[in-house]
Amino acid sequence: MSGVRAPQTGSAGRRTNSGAGRVLVAVYGIFALAATARASVQLITRFEEAPLAYLLSAVAGLIYIVATITLARGTRASRRLALIAIIIELIGVVTVGTLSVVDPEAFPRATVWSVYGIGYGFVPLVLPILGLAWLWHTRPQAARPDEGGR
Amino acid sequence: MIDALGYTVVALAGVGVIWGIVTAIANKPPGKAQLLYAAGLEAVTVVQSIIAVAKIIGGFRPVELATTIGYLIGIVILIPIAWLWANVERNRFSGVVLAVAALAVLAMTLRLLVLWIPAG
Repeated sequence: MSGVRAPQTGSAGRRTNSGAGRVLVAVYGIFALAATARASVQLITRFEEAPLAYLLSAVAGLIYIVATITLARGTRASRRLALIAIIIELIGVVTVGTLSVVDPEAFPRATVWSVYGIGYGFVPLVLPILGLAWLWHTRPQAARPDEGGR
Repeated sequence: MIDALGYTVVALAGVGVIWGIVTAIANKPPGKAQLLYAAGLEAVTVVQSIIAVAKIIGGFRPVELATTIGYLIGIVILIPIAWLWANVERNRFSGVVLAVAALAVLAMTLRLLVLWIPAG
């Protein structure tokens, strides 16, 4: 993870929306858009085909939206929300991913989290891990040797 | 969709991805040329979406109509948002943000090309 370490420039550091965090927010934003749009289409046009999968798709979209906004805001309060959203996201992608492998009937390959996000290059599986790592990396009160006297 | 135009978008977006990564590795914010290039990519993407929507209005029905329309609309907002987001804090990561948006445009265009089959 050392490759994504944000350069510590002045007092603005530590925020989730700075440095590499901007890339994370961008990726989350794209997934918020993709998952929400996909779920809307599915719910409107063929809800009865796989209601559970499509509702989960919508939940996934919502979680990505929350994660995008909270990471982009980068305040102390939004960090907490981001943490909750990303933990749910991780549980979701692992659960849906596993269920879709065990019971493909219930999860046609049409949700963001099916088979651990295979349709999106497994980014949905990697993203929450990067998200948690980033929240950890930018955690507020930790005394860090590379921060000198601050 | 016009295949040639679609593949042009794919190629332009591919260059955009590489360019973004290169400036990030060079530890530089995106320069004027790179930002203009992103604007150019956006322009071609918009033209593609307009042509495709015109064809749908003209009677063409792709297999996944709703998904196709969603993609055609969604694809044109990515670069402008990434542009704004990349310019708020200008450093190496601005280039990566542009690269991420270009990659999404690339993937969505490939998907659109696949979906552009008449409904049977």
